[in-house]
Amino acid sequence: MSTIDPRIHEALDGELPTDALPVELRPAAQTVRTAADLLAAPVPGASLESRIMAEVRRPAPSPLRRAAGWLATPHAVTLRVRPVWSLALAATAAVFTLFFARDAGPQLGEHEGIAQFVGRFPDARSVHVVGTFNDWRPGTIALEDLRHDGVWSATVVLPTGTYEYMFVVDGERWVPDHLADRLVADDFGRENSVVIVRPVHR
Amino acid sequence: MDVNGAPSDAEIVARVLAGDTEAFGFVIRRYEAGLLRFATRMLGSRDAAADAVAEGLVRAYRHLASCRDPERLRTWLYRIVTNRCKSHLARRSVGDVPLDEAPPLADPSDGEATLERAEQLALVQRALTGLSPDKREAFVLKHVEGLSYEEMAAITGERIPTLKMRVHRAREALLKVLEEHT
Repeated sequence: MSTIDPRIHEALDGELPTDALPVELRPAAQTVRTAADLLAAPVPGASLESRIMAEVRRPAPSPLRRAAGWLATPHAVTLRVRPVWSLALAATAAVFTLFFARDAGPQLGEHEGIAQFVGRFPDARSVHVVGTFNDWRPGTIALEDLRHDGVWSATVVLPTGTYEYMFVVDGERWVPDHLADRLVADDFGRENSVVIVRPVHR
Repeated sequence: MDVNGAPSDAEIVARVLAGDTEAFGFVIRRYEAGLLRFATRMLGSRDAAADAVAEGLVRAYRHLASCRDPERLRTWLYRIVTNRCKSHLARRSVGDVPLDEAPPLADPSDGEATLERAEQLALVQRALTGLSPDKREAFVLKHVEGLSYEEMAAITGERIPTLKMRVHRAREALLKVLEEHT
């Protein structure tokens, strides 16, 4: 419940002209305005421009260093195969599994798992997934609409862990996956989807 | 380009995304003062505010591609810095502003009016710091930064009635404190 006359709020919100405010209520409105004016004074001190620009100008690591980093960092891998070849590969894999690799498990590391990303975007020309697993870089993991029915999907191998991600539709529209395990708010007013990649049990 | 020949926010964003890193300087020069004032009022400390604004603008640069509406860059930047301020507040107890972080008083050699103004500012800043972060944020965005409730909703992600209620409560609490000291 308001502890001051609601007309003071109306005047301060611009819903009531100040001169329409009864004289006895004007000092309270003026006190708030005076306080706001004091707080609106510029904050003295040196500009932050050089500090911020130094950070954004920081040169990228050398190609050698980047290559070393790339080799030492786990990466998601996407296989893009035509359906006809995928059938042939599946048949070959089945034969191999039946006759040669009965005792072999999936070729995943102990700390790797499989994440499947699926979204329905009927009019999309391209769909990518970006997230904390690829530093939010669009273009690295593409989803495919294999049956041309607007359902885009990609299956990727990722190190086990919890990741935030979004879909990037047609290279410009960032869309959360509302079917995700859960959604979390980020600093930019969006909701990121969350996927938990668990190790594949043998 | 506006009437003064300065590039629009959308033009600056396009230039930065095209690889012109230096164009980000326009963003800093255009919005730094307002963001720093907002963060200082939120955190009660110029140093903490400078950290929050610097962190926020560096994050904005790195995620500029995800700014969906470059024409509303200001709102987007305030949202980022607001979140940086909340992170800073979460790391320390609210309302506990050490003396060395309180607003500086004017130099005694300054004129009487300047001294009086500095004392008033210190009083108002202390009263503001006594509000909860939600109310403080709402009051500063509304009355110090002069934003509309629609812009505040875009920045905070809150509904307009909620923001109005917070502004009203903040005014009432501030009035109570300020009237006790006058």
